[in-house]
Amino acid sequence: MKWLQFLRPADSIDYQKTKEIIDDAGPDEVTILDVRQPNEYKNGHIPGAKLVPLPELPDRLLEIDREKPVLVY
Amino acid sequence: MGGRSRVAAQMLSGKGFKNVYNVAGGIKAWQSRTAVGPQDLGVDVFEGSDAPEDVLTVAYSLEQGLRAFYLTMGEKAENAEVKALFTKLSEIEVKHMESIVRTYQKLGHAQTTGDQFEGMAKKKAMEGGLTTEEYLDLFKPDLSSPVEVVSLAMSIEAQALDLYQRMGDRLSSEAARAVVLKIADEEKAHLASLGRLMESL
Repeated sequence: MKWLQFLRPADSIDYQKTKEIIDDAGPDEVTILDVRQPNEYKNGHIPGAKLVPLPELPDRLLEIDREKPVLVY
Repeated sequence: MGGRSRVAAQMLSGKGFKNVYNVAGGIKAWQSRTAVGPQDLGVDVFEGSDAPEDVLTVAYSLEQGLRAFYLTMGEKAENAEVKALFTKLSEIEVKHMESIVRTYQKLGHAQTTGDQFEGMAKKKAMEGGLTTEEYLDLFKPDLSSPVEVVSLAMSIEAQALDLYQRMGDRLSSEAARAVVLKIADEEKAHLASLGRLMESL
């Protein structure tokens, strides 16, 4: 069975670039989005990250500011 | 890990968010302050044709792919709970395949049998794509780690969900749209149950 390649390209950035974006914009001007499960978040997360587990994401898009850069992990 | 963030980033871009980035390596890269190579790949298979027939053929291939993935994972998983869930999910994907065929038949193709439709879907799937093995190799999940296996499954379900929602928006046939959106809802429920499983591991 072959998988269709149905993935959309999304920009991936490394640690350095992530840090740059946060430093340049200021922590209040970016959304750091944690899409893991709550227990994973509890065990450690990037400071200031907003938790929206992947299963809830499609229904919670309104909570995310469209005007700000979103950094997803 | 398991590509959840990449899928989430793709979802957001697909919904019109402008500046979305996937933090490669996730929390591990952040904590160790190390760079991890980007993991970009793929194309949007729905650029171009959006005839309901084509959409349904692609949907069928996708369900076949999901089913194959769950069967493989069900065999390989070492954790009993993970094994049982994957077996159940693979059975549900078969039901999805059946309802896709019925919808296709309703769109004026009453003569097309399930086997014929499967042949068409197979042809479509061969045009591009990865085998389940290649897909696993791409993400290199640690198959002895239930967390990684479930994480990968969540990524795949989220992609399927995203795909169906985008498909649904493009379909002008009410009947076809209803089917696709119903399947999208069920994939959403799968995703939620995988999330609960993840919490329990």
